[in-house]
Amino acid sequence: MSEPLIAVRSLSKWYGAWCALDRISLHVKAGSCTVLCGPSGSGKSTLLRCLNGLEEWEEGEVSIGGTPVAHRARDLRRLRREVGMVFQSFNLFPHLDALTNVTLAPRVVGRRRRTEAEQAGMALLDRVGLAGHARKLPADLSGGQQQRVAIARALAMQPRALLFDEPTSALDPESIKEVLDVIVGLAKSGTTMVVVTHEMGFARHVADEVVFMDKGRIVEASDPDTFFDRTVSDRIRCFLGHRDRAYSN
Amino acid sequence: MAAARLHGPSIRRRFASRAGVLLAMAAAHPFSLLVTLVLLYAAWIVGERIVSWGIIHATFIADDRSGCNPGGACWAFVVNRLPQFLFGFYPEAERWRALAAVLAPPALMLLAVAPEFRGRRLVVAAGFSLYPLLAFALLAGGLPGLPAVSTERWGGLTLTMLVGMSAFVLSFPLAILLALARTSSLPALRLVAAGFIEFWRGLPLVAILFMSVIMLPLFLPPGVEAPRLSLALAGITFYSAAYLAEVVRGGLQGIGRGQYEAAGALGFGFWSMQGYVVLPQALRSVVPAIVNAAIALFKDTTYVMVVGLFDLLNIVVAGLSDANWIGLAAEGYVFVGVIYWTICFGMSRMSARFEHGAQGARPAGAAAGAGR
Repeated sequence: MSEPLIAVRSLSKWYGAWCALDRISLHVKAGSCTVLCGPSGSGKSTLLRCLNGLEEWEEGEVSIGGTPVAHRARDLRRLRREVGMVFQSFNLFPHLDALTNVTLAPRVVGRRRRTEAEQAGMALLDRVGLAGHARKLPADLSGGQQQRVAIARALAMQPRALLFDEPTSALDPESIKEVLDVIVGLAKSGTTMVVVTHEMGFARHVADEVVFMDKGRIVEASDPDTFFDRTVSDRIRCFLGHRDRAYSN
Repeated sequence: MAAARLHGPSIRRRFASRAGVLLAMAAAHPFSLLVTLVLLYAAWIVGERIVSWGIIHATFIADDRSGCNPGGACWAFVVNRLPQFLFGFYPEAERWRALAAVLAPPALMLLAVAPEFRGRRLVVAAGFSLYPLLAFALLAGGLPGLPAVSTERWGGLTLTMLVGMSAFVLSFPLAILLALARTSSLPALRLVAAGFIEFWRGLPLVAILFMSVIMLPLFLPPGVEAPRLSLALAGITFYSAAYLAEVVRGGLQGIGRGQYEAAGALGFGFWSMQGYVVLPQALRSVVPAIVNAAIALFKDTTYVMVVGLFDLLNIVVAGLSDANWIGLAAEGYVFVGVIYWTICFGMSRMSARFEHGAQGARPAGAAAGAGR
């Protein structure tokens, strides 16, 4: 079996006495889509942020493509070019238009030529369906459009893997669909991705593996069919059941 | 013809309807009408006296005080001494150099508010940042074709412009570094920056100027002698940097953590993150406060008189004691006031333009492009 693209070995993180991550181990194969889910405060976002070094941890090891994630600034920067991240609140650069948001990192960090970066950037905006909005500032775009620009921005560095931190939690239902469509398209084209989300339908549809976390631990990691239909965990059945039942009567 | 026939009556009708609205408003608000009339009358009285003193009964050409009409302003004093007020004791044959140093900043400001053309931002940015160096070199001379002129002879508006602009331009990068250090995650850096800022901000500028001229030479290597002008300029620069650093820090505090994380996640290092993501946003959000500081600084340059430099104000005040022109303080101070006000108003207009620009399309993106 080939080496996983992202390997987490026995990762632990504490905030003071509070154990945010408790000996987490996780493997993400190249070209696969892993969905992290679980209740709020379960540590799924923290785990995701460890994967590109946005969070530090106390014990264990994370490696991307066989290279351990070190916290030395220079190594971290190299790693981050290989792992793209999409945030819940988009975090677009508000002073730059959509195209410049996408091309800034390739130009400044990747030292690509402006024309070349802009060509690639336009292709990416086209891929997320926003070629016509290239010169608009983030403030003039809807939430869904902003998040799609953020996805294009993350793709512009040609990362080996993409991390999504609740990419649709700040969006209205219509925008959720347009963003999920883009993510599904990426998953189908074989992009390696780890997605923290509460969208269970999406998880079932695209995930190769669903990881359920609670209180800093992985409760279950399995394929979607097993996870949604045949799980033996009461905790997960409870979680899924609450979601299904909410507001239904 | 057809257009005139079409528009003529409609304009007249619009005017008539406006006047009608005014009359209706006046009738509906009698107290406002009264206040308006009183204010108009007061403005007329004040304005009439100013125009009468400053223009109608003023004398512009005379050889000395006795040639001036006693009922009006004696601008002849200012006219006769204008070269000195503008250029200090700069040699007459070399005054074009001083003139260039005086006119460059307003020219750059005009360029800054001019309509966009290719390379405009680059020219403005380069002009402002190179001004201290180029103006000093031009005024000091010492090159073939540019005879050396001692700083003792620089003065008037030339000196004011040189000190004000140079102190601002030199203190700006220092202020950014101080603000970054003060918001750094390294405690030692924070402490040093906070100490520097509190030290310079806590002293009166007059004290700083005296200390710079007396104490800074003690820190210079033996044998090196710096002119008083440079020492005073160094003091004002530190003073201004301390104030500006706090303004910039205010801007930095407005930048959310998400911006740092987004830039970090894309692989930006510290300086490129600051240069392309954080500072363009932070500085733009504090443009009014920066211009406010620049205007205050420009006026504070008048304090250089305490170390014996003849800036615009000091040289005019010195001229007041001339026996031929005794008793013309009003004219002197009004002249100084008008010049300061004009320059500060220009800065304020420039600021307004930048603020409007902030709402337009991608100025920082263009600046970032120009920088690379």
